[in-house]
Amino acid sequence: MRSAWAVCKRELVSFFTTPVGYVIVGTYAAIAGLGFAASFTEFCAITVNPAEKGYEGIPKLEELLISPYLLFCGQLLMFIGPLITMRLLAEERSRGTMELLLTYPLRDRDIVFGKFGAALGIVLVLMAIVGVHLAVVGVYTDVEPAVLAFGLLTLFLMSAAFMSLGLFVSAWTRNAVTAGVVTFALWFISYIVGTFGQSLPGAPANIPAQLGVNAGRAIGFMWGIFRQLVVELPLDRHAERMAQGIVQPQDIAYYLLFTVFFLFLTFRALESRRWRA
Amino acid sequence: MIEVSGLTKVYGTITAVQDLSFRVAKGEIIGFLGPNGAGKSTTMRILTGFTPPTSGVAKVAGFHIEDQPIEVKRRVGYMPENVPAYGEMLVRAFLRYAAEVKCVARGSLAAEVDRVMSRCGLGDMANRVIRNLSKGYRQRLGLAQALIGNPPVLILDEPTSGLDPKQIVEIRQVIKELAPEHTVLLSTHILPEVAMVCERVIIINRGHIVAQDTMHNLTGGDTELLEVEARGVSDAIVSKLSAIPGVTTVETLGNGRYHVSAPRGSNLNEAIIAALAQGDCGLTGIQRKRRTLEDVFIAAVASDQGAAE
Repeated sequence: MRSAWAVCKRELVSFFTTPVGYVIVGTYAAIAGLGFAASFTEFCAITVNPAEKGYEGIPKLEELLISPYLLFCGQLLMFIGPLITMRLLAEERSRGTMELLLTYPLRDRDIVFGKFGAALGIVLVLMAIVGVHLAVVGVYTDVEPAVLAFGLLTLFLMSAAFMSLGLFVSAWTRNAVTAGVVTFALWFISYIVGTFGQSLPGAPANIPAQLGVNAGRAIGFMWGIFRQLVVELPLDRHAERMAQGIVQPQDIAYYLLFTVFFLFLTFRALESRRWRA
Repeated sequence: MIEVSGLTKVYGTITAVQDLSFRVAKGEIIGFLGPNGAGKSTTMRILTGFTPPTSGVAKVAGFHIEDQPIEVKRRVGYMPENVPAYGEMLVRAFLRYAAEVKCVARGSLAAEVDRVMSRCGLGDMANRVIRNLSKGYRQRLGLAQALIGNPPVLILDEPTSGLDPKQIVEIRQVIKELAPEHTVLLSTHILPEVAMVCERVIIINRGHIVAQDTMHNLTGGDTELLEVEARGVSDAIVSKLSAIPGVTTVETLGNGRYHVSAPRGSNLNEAIIAALAQGDCGLTGIQRKRRTLEDVFIAAVASDQGAAE
């Protein structure tokens, strides 16, 4: 564990001794801050005169401000995240330091957990920025602190899932830019598919009658699974409910499983050197 | 300390290393020679656990490289060829990281880093950014990170490449001083360096060993070689030279040149002069020949190349 910590620490030191780290954190802070200021102002305007904005009574803060804002922060990570994860393993390869990493007495788990830990460390810095915004909400409104804390946890879980996917992609390539682009593409495609999935009809429209009743049922069943996958698989879908403070075990389990799954694949990717090389 | 038997590494259709077998005893400094692409770096990468062998067995410090990789890595200090390092880090921070990863006890981290830096002459560079180091200092950094944790086995891939003459002498001295407690396997292109530093040499070409022996034996061992130049009938000269007591072989090189070998220390000059003074032949020159490592290397590689064609 000490070795993993050493790897993690080195990664964080490198991240924050180069301008890269400050550019990434600064950009995130600027955009998240703008997003927060805009939606908070908008929400205040609505509470002053709900009728004018087309609302009956004052809308719920969780639904109208916190959830969309947290989702926005999560989606922002879709753009910033690849810049964090793309370097993790790909850069070790391109700089040749992979040769050091793999000849020091490190186990694969030290490398994977060290790198993932570093990514989470950077995420925590980004979360601190979001935390400040949520603290402002907490101070000036009567929303329950638990809801805000759970919102932050949601964002963290979502980010961890993002990072695990990015780390996995980074483990397969030598070029950091390739890793970044592929990671972004995977996240963005899943996002688009999720949006598109919501407009899919609940059942397939016209199953030809001559296929028979059972075939029709089978097609309907498969369709159901397909639709469910398209709707449930994208990374931001589950956060939507969670960010409103609705605790559902399956949402939390989704992010944890997603993370574990891609960390597992990262192990396999590192191990592949034994049978590929 | 290092035992290799039947080591083979195949990359797709290219055989980088083929059926390599050798042993390195504790405290030895072994020179690993070979032309570019002979398989030196591949062998070193296998021994350090960076790439797995296709077949064959290798043991380092008694541990099997594939079954107990961590045990092996704990006992091996490795300096890769181009000295990869994290450019944005400070020298001290990088070495500290290496020490942490190599499980140096927490209390002695700073002392270990200082020890290695002073040993490699990096003391003045402790707070420099690695990216800004000159080639020579970067090379020292590579050696320093290998020495961290005082591993019993050191595998150094071209430790002196790209250094200026003064630095080469310094680094050689560092390596020489490692000898009794450490086992060193080093590769290099600089043949005189091997002669100066190593006790034993392994020459490889096209992935297999073409010669391995001690420096003493490779450069002639206990025989002494004289090149004699004489005018006259060659058969007569050969018989006269062969008749001299102590001469083991006489070789005709043509153009009136002959190689005479005898046990080291025979001091035959006088006898040769006397032998060739009689009759119809004139001695025109005697020269003591030393077989250099260069001769051995070129001969070994050339004969292997010839065998391949």
